[in-house]
Amino acid sequence: MRISGYIPFAVGALTALAAGWAAFPHAIYQNRRQPVNFSHKVHTTTAGQKCDDCHSFRADGTFAGIPTLDKCAGCHAAPMGTTAAEKDFIDRYVTPNREPQWLAYARQPENVSFSHITHVKSGGMKCETCHGNEGETDSLRPFQQDRISGYSRDIWGRPIAHSAFRTEGGMKMDDCVNCHRSHGLTHSCLDCHK
Amino acid sequence: MTTTRRNLFKLAGGATVGVLFTPAPWRLLTDTALLSETWPGVPVPRHGEVTFQFGNCSLCPAGCAVRARSVANQPVSLAGVPAHPLSHGALCAFGIAGHHLPYHPDRLKSGPVAAADAAVRTALGQLRDTERCAVLDLRPGRTASWTYRRAMAAIHNGIYLAPLEPVPVNLAAAKTVLSLGAPLFDNWGTPGNVIAARDHFRLIQVEPVESRTAAMADLWLPIRPDSEEALVLGLANLLLADKKVAGLPAGFTDRVREFPPTVAASRSGIGEQQIAALAHELQNNGPALVLGANGSPYAAALNLILGAPGHTLVSRREAPVPDEWKKAAPVSDLASVRDGSIGVLLIDESVTGDAPPWSAIQPKLANKAVVVTFAWSKDGYGRQATYTLPTAVYPETVDDIPPAVDSPAAAFRLSAAWIAPPDGVANPADFVGALAGIAVKDALQERAAAIRKSGRGSLFVPSSATSTPARDVKPDDFWKMLQAGATWIDDVDANAAPPKLDLAFPAEAPNQVLPLVVAVTEPDAPALVSPLLSKLYQESNLHLPPQSVALHPSDARSCGLETGSHARLETGCGSIAVDVIVDPDVPPGVVEVSGGPGIRKICGASSRARVVRS
Amino acid sequence: MTNPNKPVKAARYGMAIDLDRCSGCGACMVACAVENNVPPAHQGANDRKGLTWVRVYKVDNGGEGDGRRSAFIPVMCQHCGNETPCVHVCPQQAVDVDPSTGVVGEMPERCLGCRYCMAACPYHARYFNWWDPAWPAGMEKALNPDVSPRMRGVVEKCNFCHGRWHAARRQAVADGKSDMEPVAYLPACAEACPAKAITFGDLNDAASPVAVAAKDCNSFRLLEKLDTDPKIHYISKRDWVRRIADAPRPGDGKESRRG
Repeated sequence: MRISGYIPFAVGALTALAAGWAAFPHAIYQNRRQPVNFSHKVHTTTAGQKCDDCHSFRADGTFAGIPTLDKCAGCHAAPMGTTAAEKDFIDRYVTPNREPQWLAYARQPENVSFSHITHVKSGGMKCETCHGNEGETDSLRPFQQDRISGYSRDIWGRPIAHSAFRTEGGMKMDDCVNCHRSHGLTHSCLDCHK
Repeated sequence: MTTTRRNLFKLAGGATVGVLFTPAPWRLLTDTALLSETWPGVPVPRHGEVTFQFGNCSLCPAGCAVRARSVANQPVSLAGVPAHPLSHGALCAFGIAGHHLPYHPDRLKSGPVAAADAAVRTALGQLRDTERCAVLDLRPGRTASWTYRRAMAAIHNGIYLAPLEPVPVNLAAAKTVLSLGAPLFDNWGTPGNVIAARDHFRLIQVEPVESRTAAMADLWLPIRPDSEEALVLGLANLLLADKKVAGLPAGFTDRVREFPPTVAASRSGIGEQQIAALAHELQNNGPALVLGANGSPYAAALNLILGAPGHTLVSRREAPVPDEWKKAAPVSDLASVRDGSIGVLLIDESVTGDAPPWSAIQPKLANKAVVVTFAWSKDGYGRQATYTLPTAVYPETVDDIPPAVDSPAAAFRLSAAWIAPPDGVANPADFVGALAGIAVKDALQERAAAIRKSGRGSLFVPSSATSTPARDVKPDDFWKMLQAGATWIDDVDANAAPPKLDLAFPAEAPNQVLPLVVAVTEPDAPALVSPLLSKLYQESNLHLPPQSVALHPSDARSCGLETGSHARLETGCGSIAVDVIVDPDVPPGVVEVSGGPGIRKICGASSRARVVRS
Repeated sequence: MTNPNKPVKAARYGMAIDLDRCSGCGACMVACAVENNVPPAHQGANDRKGLTWVRVYKVDNGGEGDGRRSAFIPVMCQHCGNETPCVHVCPQQAVDVDPSTGVVGEMPERCLGCRYCMAACPYHARYFNWWDPAWPAGMEKALNPDVSPRMRGVVEKCNFCHGRWHAARRQAVADGKSDMEPVAYLPACAEACPAKAITFGDLNDAASPVAVAAKDCNSFRLLEKLDTDPKIHYISKRDWVRRIADAPRPGDGKESRRG
C-alpha cells in the first residue's frame, strides 16, 4: 500500500489514542462536590489541631473516620470565624442537626476489612503515606467518582494509566499487597477481607 | 482521500488498535466486574460507633438478660449475660433475633386508636347495670397488670381477668423430676436456669413422642397417648399403699384404688416393673417434683403425695407495689364470669401468655359488645375484635417482666427501648388508665421505688456482673440501674407457708370424640418471630414449621391427607388452618403440632383434635 | 514493627461440641445468621437450597418405639487441616487456609459460583446463594457492619466468625498488644448456645478448654477415615452417636419432607 493508504488507519488510531487518554478520564469519572467547603489548613494552623483530634481511634480500636456532626458542632455551635462556608455549614447542618454526607476519597469496598489502628500503631505509619498531605489543603478537592463502579479515583491512583496498566500510588489490593510484601509480611485472604 | 468503505474499515481498524493502547477498554473490563461489588440488590450495612447496651427480653416470662451490640444506636446482634443468676447467659432462638421484630412485615404500625377510644367511652357510658367492663391480661403480675386492676377498680363494674398462674417451682431443690410432657428443653421456664440445674436432678420424661426434652432426659417413658391419668393413679396407688396424705379429695383416693399397677400398666403401655421402679425412685430419691400441663390436678395430687409443696413447689411473694395500689380489683378467672355480661372487653395480647380460645370468650360477651385488642399483628384476637390497636414491640418499649415459673423468688426487670416505636402505636396501660382517669405514666418508677423501699432483695448489675443488696443501693441509682438492664431478685421468704395446690378434678371424663391426641413439640413462639427462624424449619429439618401438623402415615391416610395438604386442625376450642406433614416417626393416634400462638390457643385446654382437609 | 515471615505464634482455632448437651434448640443457627448477615429464606428455599452456615441435624439410633434414642449434631465447616478438599478444587483460588489461624476462608467476592467446592466438601458444609439477599423493609438497618453481605451466585460458609476475629485484633492493638499474637474471641454459635455445648479456642494452646476437650476419651471427629484433619471435635458418651460419625451425612434420611 502507498503511504496514503495508511492515513485512515493512522487517523483512526490517533483519534482513539486521544480519546482514550484525554477524553476517557473525563467520561469515566464524575465530579462531585463535598457538602461543605471545608478547609483543613484553617483547622490545622489557626485552630492548631492535629489529624487525630478529629480522625481518632475509639477505645475498642475502631477508627472514627470522617467525624460525625457532633464533633464539629462541639466547636461550631456558633460561628467561630467570618467565612461564608462556615455560616453555610451552620445553617444547613448544625442548626437542623443533619449529618453532612461526606464523600470519602479512600472509601474501600464493603468486603475489605482495613484496620487503621494496626497500620498506625503497630505499623508506625503516618497518615500522609496513604492519604497525602490533606492536612495542608485549603479546600477539599472535588470527589471524582467512577460512573460504573462508584469508587473514588484515589483508589485507582490519579493518573489514568494507573487505572489499567500499572498499580502504584493508589489504594487497590495490589497496592496493599506490594507494600506488605516489601515489608516481608505474608497474609491470607481473610486477614483483609470480611 | 476518498470516503470509501475500505477506508472506513481502515479507520475502524486503526481506532480498534489504537484504543487497545489506551486505558479505556481495560478499565471498563474491570469496572464491570467491580459492578458486582456495588450491586444494587445487596444492602450495605451501616457503619458507626459500636456500643453495648443491656436490657431484658420480654418475649416470654423467662425475661432473660440481654446484651445488645449496637452500631450507631441500632442493635445489630443480641447475646445473653453469662454471669446472670437467673438466665446464666442463655437466650433462645427467638430472643437471639428479637431486634428484628420492629421491622417484621406483619407488624402493625398504625390503627384506629382515636376511634376505639371514642367507641369504648361511649360503650362504657351505655353499660347496663348487669354488664361489666373487663380487661383480659395475658401476662399477669406486671406493673401494667396493676394498672389494669386499679383502672377496673375505678371503673364501675370493672373486672380484671387473667389466666391462672402456675405454682412456682424450685428446680435447684429437686433430685428427681417426673415430667408428664412438660417441655423442659423447649423454652420451659428460664432455659438457662433449667440447663444450670440439669446436672443435679434425674429427669424422667413421660410423653408419647420423643420430643427434644425426651431426647435429653435420663429416661423417656413412651406412654400411650392420653393416658397420663392412668400412670399417675398407678403411681399414687403404690405410694399411698401404706400411708395417708391429707388434702387429697375423696374422689381421687377412690379412683386410686381402681388402679393397681396391672391396670395402670395395661392402660398406659408402661410396664408394671417400670411403674414400680418409678414409684420407688420418686419416694426414695427425693425431693421429687412432678410437672404436668398447667393446672393439671393429677400432677398436683402426685406432688402433694410426694411432699413437694414447700420443697420443690414454693410460695413466692410478689414484688412489692406502692400501698396506694393495693385497693385494686382482684384477679378473676374468665370461667367465673357470667355469660353475656361483658359489654366492653379490652385485651392486652401485646405479651406472650396463656391466651384463652375465642370460643371461651365469646359466650361471656354481651350483645353488641365492644372488643378492643392491643396486639403486634392482626393474627391474634384481631380476627374477632372490633378494634385492633398496634402496640410497640419488644425492643421498643420499657415494660417489666414478672418472674417465670422456675424462679423461686420474685424478680423485677425491665426491657429496654433501644429502637423508637412508630408514631401510630398505642400503649395499652396508658389507654386503660386514661379511661379510668388514673395517672399511670410513672407507674414503673413508682413500683421500683416501692421495691427499693421494702429493703428486700439484691440487685444484679449486668455491666459489672455483680450483685448488691438492694438496701445498699441509693434510691435514685436503683431506678437508673433498672433502666440500664439490672435485675432485682427478692430474698426467699423462709417463713412462707407451702403453696396451696389446686386439686379440682373434673367431675367426669370428657367425651373423647376427637380421634387424635395433640402433642405440642415446638416451643411457644411469640406473636412475631424474626424471619431468620426459617433457618430452623424451611432451610433445615430441625423444627416443625409454624402453622403445621405432623401425622403418622396411617392417620394421614384415614384423613385423606398427604404431605403438603392444606387442612384444618380442629379441637374442642376452635380450629385453625394448618399444613400437613406425614412422618412415620409420629406415633399413631398422635398429631404433632408446632407451638405458635394460634395453635396454643385452641390446644391449650384441650388435648384432643382432629385434622380435616380444607 | 517486627518483620517476621510468619507470625510469632500460629493459632489453630477449633471447637469441641458436647453432643450430650445439645438439645436441638437452634439458637446457634439463628445467632450465626444474625452475626454473618445471612438473609432469611427466599420463598423457594428448602433444606437443599438454604443458607445455614451451621446446621443442626437430628440423628437417631435406628430403634423403634421405646428403643429409639435421638441426638442432635451441629455441623458447620470443619476447617479441614489436611489436603483441604475445597481449596484443592477451586478454579478461582477463592478459598485459602490461613496459616496463622488454621481457618479455611471463603472469598465470596472471588467466587465464580461453579459449586465444585460444594461437591468436594465431604461435610456438605458449603452453601450457595441461589438468590440475592432480601430482608424485609427496614431490617437491613440491623445488619452487622463487620461482615459484608454476599450477592447471588457465590458460595459461602462458616469462617469461625472472622468479623469477631478482626474486632478482637483491633481491640488487642488498642490495648497495646502485638497484632501477631493469637487473640481470644468467641464465634456467635459458641456464645449463643444456651447449653454451653460449644467450646471454641486455640487447639495449639494445650491449656485451653478446647484442647483439653479435644483430647477427651469420648471425643471424635466426623469422617475420620477421610483424613481431612477437621478442627471440630465432637464429644459424646453414647457409642451409637460416635458410630453415626462414619455416615456420609448426618441425617435421618428424610432431608426434605417438603420436597
